[in-house]
Amino acid sequence: MYKLYLEKNISSKDLLKKVLEENDIQDKIIYNEYGKPYLENNPLYFNISHSGIYTALVISDAEVGIDIEKIHMPKNALLHVCNEEEKRLIKSVEDFTIMWVKKESYVKYLGIGISYGLKNVDTTKIKDFVLKKVGNYYISIYGKNLK
Amino acid sequence: MKEEIISIIAEVLEIPKENINEKTNLVKDLDVESLDLVDLVAAFEDKYDIEILDKDIKNLQTVGDIIKYIEKKHV
Repeated sequence: MYKLYLEKNISSKDLLKKVLEENDIQDKIIYNEYGKPYLENNPLYFNISHSGIYTALVISDAEVGIDIEKIHMPKNALLHVCNEEEKRLIKSVEDFTIMWVKKESYVKYLGIGISYGLKNVDTTKIKDFVLKKVGNYYISIYGKNLK
Repeated sequence: MKEEIISIIAEVLEIPKENINEKTNLVKDLDVESLDLVDLVAAFEDKYDIEILDKDIKNLQTVGDIIKYIEKKHV
């Protein structure tokens, strides 16, 4: 189970506050050693991402990671981020953005972030990403049994 | 090397280099998001022929941190 909240022109902190209020959750936010936030006592998981005008927040009953990114491809990043197979498959800026949000949502799901190693996330093998396109943005959500 | 690194940051992030000094915090002062940060890392790797490990990126918070890190790697 998951629920996605997507809003324009709101900070991550304010969207989280709003969603917690809507779901009647009053709980302290705690962080793991890599900075991933959790609710201290509530069994609900959440994750937040921000890009340009959008802030995206996902809540789930299991570990979850989310990333939103405006469609673009910085000129240097490809070499640092992609393995050889991914480089071969990327034919457009959209392809790159999709691969990036998948990698980010996966390392955020793990709770480790970029420190995990972006090349270690092989998007040609890992399945079950929930991918959405909103205007010029892509959103990827990763978690187990997302429905 | 310090001036060169600041010039690369300015070019990659498309901001005036006058806005950058050693104390500048990439996320807090320049709103750098993770993809831009990785792009910057890739630019340094290419320029200085070094490898910047993803696990080190979280420690590169200020421009001063980047300068120290690259100076140490680029011997």
